Amino acid sequence: MFMKSIKTSLTRKLAAGFCMVIAGGIGWAQLSTAPAAAPAAEPNLPGTPPTMRRLTELQYRAIIADVFAPDVPIAGRFERARREEGLVAIGTAQGGMSPFSLEQYDASARSIAAAVTGEKRRAQFVPCQPKSDAAFDKGCATRFVELYGLKLFRRPLSAAERTRYVQIARSAQQRLGGFHQGLEYALAGMLVSPEFLLRIENTEHDPRAPGGLRLDAWSKAARLSFFLTNSTPDAELLRAASAGELHTDAGLARQVDRLIASPQLEAAVRAFFWDMLHFDGFGDLFKDPAIYPAYTTDVARDAQEQTLRTIVTHLITDRGDYRDLFTTNKTWLSRPLGIVYRMPVATRNGWEQGEFPASAQRSGILTDISLLALYSHPGRSSPTLRGKALRETFLCEKVPDPPANVSFSIVQDAVNRPGSTARLRLAEHNENPVCAGCHKLTDPLGLTLENFDGTGGFRARENGAELDLSGKLQGTDFTGPQGLGKTLRDNPGVPLCLVQKLYSSASGRPLATKEEPYVEYLLNGFAASGYRLPDLMRAIALSKTFYAVSEPPKPASPPRVAASNKGDRS
Amino acid sequence: MAVKFAGGWTRRKQLMAGLGIGFIAVAVAAGQPAYRSARAAAPNEAAPAQDIDIMTEVFRNGEGGFVVTEIAYALGRDAKDSASCPNGMTGGVRALIEAYAKTAPGQRRPEEDDRLYERRLTAAVNTAPNGQNICMHPEAAAPDPNWRMVAGATTVADGIDLDGQDTARGRKPAGGTCGHDDFRGMHGERGVDNQWYRVIGCTTGFQSTGLANSFQTEMYTGSWGILVTLRGVDDLRNDPDVAVGIHASADPIQLSSARAALPYATYAVDRDKRYRANTRGRIANGVLTIVPVDVRFHNYVNSMHDDRILRDARLRLTFTRDGGMEGYLSGYSPIEAMYDLHFGARHSTNAKGELAPERLRLLTSIGRAGALGHTCNGAYHAMLEAADGHPDPATGRCTSISTQFRIRLAPAFVVDAATQSVNAPLTLR
Repeated sequence: MFMKSIKTSLTRKLAAGFCMVIAGGIGWAQLSTAPAAAPAAEPNLPGTPPTMRRLTELQYRAIIADVFAPDVPIAGRFERARREEGLVAIGTAQGGMSPFSLEQYDASARSIAAAVTGEKRRAQFVPCQPKSDAAFDKGCATRFVELYGLKLFRRPLSAAERTRYVQIARSAQQRLGGFHQGLEYALAGMLVSPEFLLRIENTEHDPRAPGGLRLDAWSKAARLSFFLTNSTPDAELLRAASAGELHTDAGLARQVDRLIASPQLEAAVRAFFWDMLHFDGFGDLFKDPAIYPAYTTDVARDAQEQTLRTIVTHLITDRGDYRDLFTTNKTWLSRPLGIVYRMPVATRNGWEQGEFPASAQRSGILTDISLLALYSHPGRSSPTLRGKALRETFLCEKVPDPPANVSFSIVQDAVNRPGSTARLRLAEHNENPVCAGCHKLTDPLGLTLENFDGTGGFRARENGAELDLSGKLQGTDFTGPQGLGKTLRDNPGVPLCLVQKLYSSASGRPLATKEEPYVEYLLNGFAASGYRLPDLMRAIALSKTFYAVSEPPKPASPPRVAASNKGDRS
Repeated sequence: MAVKFAGGWTRRKQLMAGLGIGFIAVAVAAGQPAYRSARAAAPNEAAPAQDIDIMTEVFRNGEGGFVVTEIAYALGRDAKDSASCPNGMTGGVRALIEAYAKTAPGQRRPEEDDRLYERRLTAAVNTAPNGQNICMHPEAAAPDPNWRMVAGATTVADGIDLDGQDTARGRKPAGGTCGHDDFRGMHGERGVDNQWYRVIGCTTGFQSTGLANSFQTEMYTGSWGILVTLRGVDDLRNDPDVAVGIHASADPIQLSSARAALPYATYAVDRDKRYRANTRGRIANGVLTIVPVDVRFHNYVNSMHDDRILRDARLRLTFTRDGGMEGYLSGYSPIEAMYDLHFGARHSTNAKGELAPERLRLLTSIGRAGALGHTCNGAYHAMLEAADGHPDPATGRCTSISTQFRIRLAPAFVVDAATQSVNAPLTLR
């Protein structure tokens, strides 16, 4: 089992803030409606315990591509990621690893090791040649183990680890007869090691704070690398860690600036927004082909790519204002998407950048197929799902799930009735006060997107009826998707939410209430930079809070054995 | 550099060859469909049609594009359901074999098993007196005595009047045509020119259950496609002058997971100018017609390519409630090209544009004859006899045959751009 994330009492207070939102009030997340005067310096906060996080699928694939090559085969499948507090990045620090997952990790390890040490490519990956085919070449095996141990474990191997993997290589060669077969098994062993599959952070005494702890240089390098590249530390970062440069302000700044300027930043931004926007949900997304014939697997794939491309182009390439993501007309299109958007796309089998005309009533990523389709039902749109997603994703509010015994008959039965609109159906549904509380939060936002069907295609009417696209958010009235986009763009809770989610994603744990001053510090810097994401990421990566650690918690009681191996399924 | 797709997307203005339109939801054929659809179930049935504002949703700045989603020969009713074949059905290769088997040379030889005997009979009936294969050289053989033409003075056929008069044998044909009998239309109209139906209407392969009129299947595999563009459309009901383009598509048709053609997909026109035709048209009372223009499309069968050519092609289209169009694509098919397309494969080419292997062409043409119930020489001579268009100035004999297609079209974005494609060979044709 992984170490459970730390649930502090302050976190519980944060949860209480969410409850206030549920009650129709304003949660903690909304308290900072406008940045206060920018703190002159980062607040000095106590650290949090070091974490142990499971690699995500994206990270696993990126590491194999970076350490070996992008075409090295990964044969196994990946377990569905666990999502906590709205982020897979937080879920990676919680939960267990199923037998299925271990099986798949093993399959992947074997496929990778076979490719790396196989006859075709061993000259590319194995740094030395054995002195003879028959005798075990300990020196060459040690070199191989040390090289990939450093890259995969993100730190030098201990003497015991080095001896262990060299011994595996020796034993395997004795049984299988070939030196490279021995290396294959040693590498496969490293690839299923917890030291590779889990990002285990290690601490050491901080010489600048007697009695205190700090992340060791290797853990610091890993935390930084996964935050800014979503992959393992590269050679330069490992060198800097080895040289102790990451413990100096100047050395850390050099590495941060290098990584911020590198092409790998895009991978990190993509991974963060893929997580924040819940794109893992596309794995389960179904649309009725009789109702939405244009929604194909190509559309589902390209819809995600469209949004991520738009985000990367706007935030990184153009260094745009984050808030403008909700209003920009610039987008990327492929031919499958053009069918749904009813837009010409001259480029075959590729992407082209363009702008939606104002008449298209699109408003930034809010009206991308990805979000509109993801938060709809298989055969109809859903103002409720859309409104809930907007509040939770972009405002960091928590909207509860519906009660188990709620009746959806009114909403569902009249879907195709002439003259019926979602607004009318929901109005009837909301005569039940049990339902009305939450729908007051979700529907005023979601109903403004009702001119887009369940796949994001434009519609002027529903069942022949005119659409009322009026909406409201925190006292601000607006109309339609463009009104919604502008309202969100101007809502101070939106950049605040991004800061919270980005930091939570980077740290792998929910935000603690004690970190509010730190979030305000980041938010003020974010605002001062014109809401430029790279600047926010730089601020986090250079902050002391990002690396600050405290003593790991002492377990209150021995870990429980939760699973039974008796096969009792009764 | 971003392309600004303003007001419609500006690139569209440059790229789209336009279309003209007329509103009108005229049901072309009440009652039994006038044509034999190649697909029993219309591909678009999965998506319920919705009434739309065509001028707003399909046309932008007076320009609109369409892709053909259904196409089949407009013919008459099946022989068994009408009096169109009073002399019975065309005998085809099987009838020739049976007749030959009754002759002395056609008797089974002692050394022949069933396979060898059948092969010898097939070879014999497909060989002209001069020894040439009759599919590769149909002119070398006499007309097939078992070929049957559609007959009857009041026989009904689908299609439109191409030559502007109700022609009958013995009367002076219209200029540029040869004498022939016109058909009556499905709704009693006179003067329908459809000599292609006259030729093949009594062969089993072209009955509604036959295979010969199912060439649309290849379109749904992405092998070829047809685009129509209208430009300068001001009024969907009456517009005296619109620019009309009829082009081969460089892109495969876009389909749903249920293999229904999707509206609003983007298609590029073929880069080869031979497959682009531009003309003028007019919309009168919601019906689009055009000044006749020669058109040329692709056709693929058995990995071989032939051009589908229509000379002096006309469109007669009306708009449908879902933003598409339906009606006729009609004109005159050159006899030689039509023979290669459906019967002989004499000049079919491979993917590189080279003449396809002789064996493939030969077996394809013989196989067609056996499967579809015709003979190559019979088809060739029947077409020559029925030819009603484009007389040869030297001989006076017509060289083309009136041909009618029923088509349906869906709205599409038609662009003219060279872009990268995994289907590059398709675009290079």
